[in-house]
Parts: sequence; structure tokens; C-alpha cells
Amino acid sequence: MAIDERYARQVLHWGEQQQQQIGTAVVLVAGVGGLGATVSQLLVRAGVGKLYLVDDGLVDWPDLNRQLLYAEEDIGSSKLMLAIDRLRRINSAIEIVPLPGKIDETFNLPGDVTVVADCLDNYQSRFLLEATVPKGCCLVHAGVQGEQGQVLTLRKGQSQRLSDFYAGALQPGGDIPVTGDAVAVMAGLQCHELFAVIGGEPKLLDRCLVVSLSDFHISFLDI
Amino acid sequence: MVQIQFYSLIRLLIKQEKLEIPACENETVGQLLDRVQQQIATPFLYKLLDDNRQLHTGTIILVNRHNIRHLDFLETRVNDGDVVAFFPPGAGG
Repeated sequence: MAIDERYARQVLHWGEQQQQQIGTAVVLVAGVGGLGATVSQLLVRAGVGKLYLVDDGLVDWPDLNRQLLYAEEDIGSSKLMLAIDRLRRINSAIEIVPLPGKIDETFNLPGDVTVVADCLDNYQSRFLLEATVPKGCCLVHAGVQGEQGQVLTLRKGQSQRLSDFYAGALQPGGDIPVTGDAVAVMAGLQCHELFAVIGGEPKLLDRCLVVSLSDFHISFLDI
Repeated sequence: MVQIQFYSLIRLLIKQEKLEIPACENETVGQLLDRVQQQIATPFLYKLLDDNRQLHTGTIILVNRHNIRHLDFLETRVNDGDVVAFFPPGAGG
């Protein structure tokens, strides 16, 4: 099968130049849970150049409502290794590199990463991830809770820091309510912004897209 | 005028996205909050402040794009032309 054939339908939309930019992009997806499982799948299907995945979790029953790479037989297995396997079966041409472990003070961002996707599920890890992003590199953040979510792009050294924007926003206690449809919508929006960043024209740079599925409302919060 | 912007669950709670009110000289965010509540039928201050009028952790308050926790908290001054935003972000992923 020709590569041209695999990507034919999206090239009709965004053109050869954008496809080439995606094909040379190196994306790190932090977290392959709700957001990350879908974001990484969309990136691989689109033909991203190289993908780093970070996660330390195991598949559990409450994950299956929204984490679209996993199934019942995966309960108890490593999300990261399952994701790598599934993604390679979707697109064997993509270089996919697992980075096992948590995002903590010892995490180092690989030097060839060109854009970072924050698909994490807690503020502490998000802030630690942000600290590793090099100057000039874009961090595309997303979060979701219930039927609400947000996507925001920050350029390190130019934008205000995510940890400053979210100062005081402590993690809620207990399990966060979340549905599969809301996560899929927010992951799609996050990936859409990742493609915009890769194409050199981020739409949400310093501009938080706030989505309320409760009444199909979107708004922008400039920061 | 001071422009007030409500996002996400706060917007859904009060069924209002924006509000403009005249600026008051030397007014703080804390004082502004009380004035905004007077103009909105639905109680919403309990989402932002606890019984001791300390900031809750679920909603961030921005004045001209900056989190008031990096300014003077509820003592942050609000001036004519300022934009004040209330945003409870989604925490999960």
C-alpha cells in the first residue's frame, strides 16, 4: 500500500505541506488514559513522524468507558505497552517510543520532541511536565471533568506558565466524574490543536478553549 | 466599566456568560465579588469562597489574565477597563 493512499483523504483537506509537517513532527504524549489513548491514536493515524508515550498505569475496569485503546482482556496489563502494540498495528510506519514511569522530578523530556501533549489527569504531574519543556516548545494542555473541558496551548518562555494560570487549583478528592463522549470530544479538540501547532499556526496559543457539553457551549479565555 | 466573565460550571450555574458593571475607585476583588452577587439572582459566591471568605481551590479568578493568587488574592485592586474571569477548570484527563 502506498503512503499516499493511507493519507489520501486528509491530504485532500490539509494538503501535502501540512502532511509533510506532521510526518516530521516529534510529539510526546504524557498519559495514555482517557485523553492520551485517543490523542495518540489520532496522531498515529495521521502519520506523525515520531511519538513518545509516557505512562505508568495498568488497565482497570473503570478505564474502559473512555480509554479507547483498551479492552476487557487488558485488565491488569500495562497501558503503555498495550498502547504501543495497538498503535503499531494501526500504523506500523510510525516510530513509537515508550517511556515507562511517572512524570516526576526525575523525568527528562527527550531532546528531539517538537511539541508536547499534556493528557495527564492531575495538576501536580502537569506542572512537573511543564517544567521539562524547553524554551520555545509548545505545550498543548487539555483537561476534562464531567461535561466540561478545556484546551490551551502555551509556548515555554513566552506564555505564562500553566502552574501560574492554575495556581491554587488543587486536585479534587476522590474519583473525577468523566464520560467517554466528553473525553473523546476533548481529545479530538486537543489533537486538532496539536495539528495546528505542528503546522505552525496554533489557534489556542494563550487562549483557553472552554467547552461545556452540557449546553453545547464554547467560549475562549485569553490568558 | 469592569467586564466580568463566567466560564464552565459557574456560567451554567448563573446562566450568564458576561456582566459589565461600573468600576468603583479602590475596589478590591473581594468587594467586587459582593457587588456582582447583588446583581445576579442565583447564589454563586459559595462556589468561590468558604465561610471564612477564603478562596476555594476549585475555581481560579483572573484579573487581566493573571491569577489573583499571584497578585494580592482577594485584595487585588480592580480598575476601570479591567477584565475579571471566573474559571473552574476540568482537572481530569
